[in-house]
Amino acid sequence: MKLKALALETFRSFFHNRLILVLLIIWVLAVLVSLLPLLAMKAATAAQGPAQTQAVVLSFVSGIMNAVSAFGSLLAAWAAADCVSSEMTSGTILAVMARPVKRWEFLTGKFAGVMLLMSIYVLMMLGLSALLAEIGGQRIHSSIWVLLVYPLIRYAIWAAIAIALVTMLRPIATMGIFLLLGIVISMASTPGFAKDYAMVRHFLDALNWILPSTNLLSETRFLEITHASLKQAGWIEHLTTISYGLDYAFVCLLLAMWSFHYRNLKRD
Amino acid sequence: MATPAIEFAGVEKIYRRRITGQDVVALNNVSFQVGRGEVCAFLGPNGAGKTTSISILMGFLYADSGAIRVLDYEPGDVRAKAQIGFLPENFAFYKYLNAHKLLRFHYALSGGNPKDSVNLIGDLLHKVKLTGYDQLKIGKYSRGMVQRIGLAQALLANPQLLVLDEPTSGLDPAGRKEVRDIMFALKAEGKTIFLSSHLLSEVEQICDRVIIIDRGKVQQSGRMDELLAVGDRVEIVASQLPAELEPRLAELAATIERGPQAVRIVVATAHKRELAEKLWASGADVVSITPLRSSLEELYMKTVGAGPAQPTVVAPGILGLPV
Repeated sequence: MKLKALALETFRSFFHNRLILVLLIIWVLAVLVSLLPLLAMKAATAAQGPAQTQAVVLSFVSGIMNAVSAFGSLLAAWAAADCVSSEMTSGTILAVMARPVKRWEFLTGKFAGVMLLMSIYVLMMLGLSALLAEIGGQRIHSSIWVLLVYPLIRYAIWAAIAIALVTMLRPIATMGIFLLLGIVISMASTPGFAKDYAMVRHFLDALNWILPSTNLLSETRFLEITHASLKQAGWIEHLTTISYGLDYAFVCLLLAMWSFHYRNLKRD
Repeated sequence: MATPAIEFAGVEKIYRRRITGQDVVALNNVSFQVGRGEVCAFLGPNGAGKTTSISILMGFLYADSGAIRVLDYEPGDVRAKAQIGFLPENFAFYKYLNAHKLLRFHYALSGGNPKDSVNLIGDLLHKVKLTGYDQLKIGKYSRGMVQRIGLAQALLANPQLLVLDEPTSGLDPAGRKEVRDIMFALKAEGKTIFLSSHLLSEVEQICDRVIIIDRGKVQQSGRMDELLAVGDRVEIVASQLPAELEPRLAELAATIERGPQAVRIVVATAHKRELAEKLWASGADVVSITPLRSSLEELYMKTVGAGPAQPTVVAPGILGLPV
C-alpha cells in the first residue's frame, strides 16, 4: 500500500510539473513538424521507385525515432532526479519520511512512479513508430513486446542511475553528468568516430561495458521498422539482454538505496 | 516502570562544511528524557539546536555519538514512526493536492487502506476547522490553513507521541487557542507531546516539562513547576493587614500590595510561619500561602541570556499582579 501510494503520487506529480508538461508539448510539436519533411521526401522520391522511397523514408524515420528515444532517456533521468530532489528542496520529504516508510521504500516508490510515466512515454513512442511506418508505407515487423520492453528497461536503467546520482549530488550536477553521458554516447554510437584515436576508442569500449544502452540495449535493436533491418534475436539472446538490463537497473537502485540510507534528510 | 517516550543520552552532532572544512557543533553532549504522557516544551533561540535534535529524533539526521531511544526504538525505526505524529516547522506539502487527498496519501503511507479513512479524515478536518475547504488545493491555502492541515496530518494515525515544531506558527489568536485546546485534549488522552515553540506563554500553560537548549547544549531541563519555583519567597494573601504588623513587615522587607478585598504580602520563605501566625492572632483571615514562581519567559531569558538582570517575579495565585 505504501509503495503504491508513493508511486501513484509521484506519477501524478509529473502532470503538475510545468517543466515536464512544457517539454512534452515541445516534443509533440517537434514530432508533428517533422512529419512535413517526411511527407515531402516521400513525394519527391516516389518517382525513383519503391526501393529508393523506402530507403529515404526509413532513414528519416529512424532518425526521428532515435531522437525520440534519446529524449526518453533524458526524460527518464530528469524525472527520476527531479522527483527525489524536489522532495528535498521543498521539504515535503520530512512529512513523508515521518510516516512509517523505510528509506528504500521511498526510493522504490519514486522509481515505480517514474516507470509509470515512462510506460506512457513508451506507448506514445510505439504509436509514433506505427504512425511513421504507415506514412512511410511500411509496417512494423518487430514483435510489440520488444518495442515495449526494451525501451522500458533502458529507461529503468537511466532512472536508476539518476536516482543513485541525485542521492549523492545536487540535481544540477546530476543533470550535467547526464548531458555529458548523452554526448559521449552519441559519439560512441557514431560509426568510425574513434577509428583514428586509440584513447577515445578504449574509452568508448570501456563505456560499452559500463553503460549497456550503448551496446546490449542499443537503440538500433528495436527501433528499425523493416524486416530486413531488424536484428532477429533468439529467445536466449532476448532473455540475456533483458536480464542484463534489469540487473543493471537493480544494481543502480541498490546503490541509490545504500547512499540514501546514510544521507541526512533535510530541506535543501 | 515505563520507559521514557524520548531519551537522549550524550548526543553529539557536528556539521562539517565541505568547502571551508570548518566544524560547526550543533549538539554537544545533549541528554534529556521525556516521560510517557508528558507534555514537554523544547525551547531555545534560533540556531540553538532544536531542529537538529528533532531531526535526529525523527531519524532524518544521524547523530555522531550518543544514544537515542524513541518509544523504545531507534530513531527512524518504522515501529516507532508508526506511533509518532510529526508536524515539521514550515510544513511543506504537495500543492496540487486538496486536504482530503493529502490526508488519504498520508493515511496510505501509515499503512492504512485509504478507502477506510473517509470518516477519520472528515473528523480531523472538522477538528482543525477546515471543513468546507477540503476540496480546495492546498497551494491556495493561507499560512494558517496550511498549519492546520499540517496538524491534521500529524494527528492522522492516532499517534502516541506528537512531535510538533512551531505548531501555532502563522495562526491568528483564535487559531492558536484552538490548537492549544487540541493539545489540552491530547494531553488529557495521555498522549506524549514534544513541543518546540517560541510562544512561551502558551508553552507555560500546556507543558509539564521544559528543556531549554542553547548553543547546542541543554541549559535547563526539568519539570515546569520545579524550574519555575523561585523557592525563597512566598506570597501570603490575607483578608486584612492589622496596623500593628506593619513595622514588623518593614523589618522583614516584605512587599505589600493592597487590593479592594485582600492584601497581598510577599515575604522571605523563612518568615512565612511567623507572619501567618501573627496574622491569625491579630484576627486577619489568611486566604492563601503560595510559593512564588517566576514566569517561563523569565526563566528562558535568564537561561539563554539577554534577559532582565533581576527577573520580575509573578505569583500564579489569586491576584496575579507583578510584585
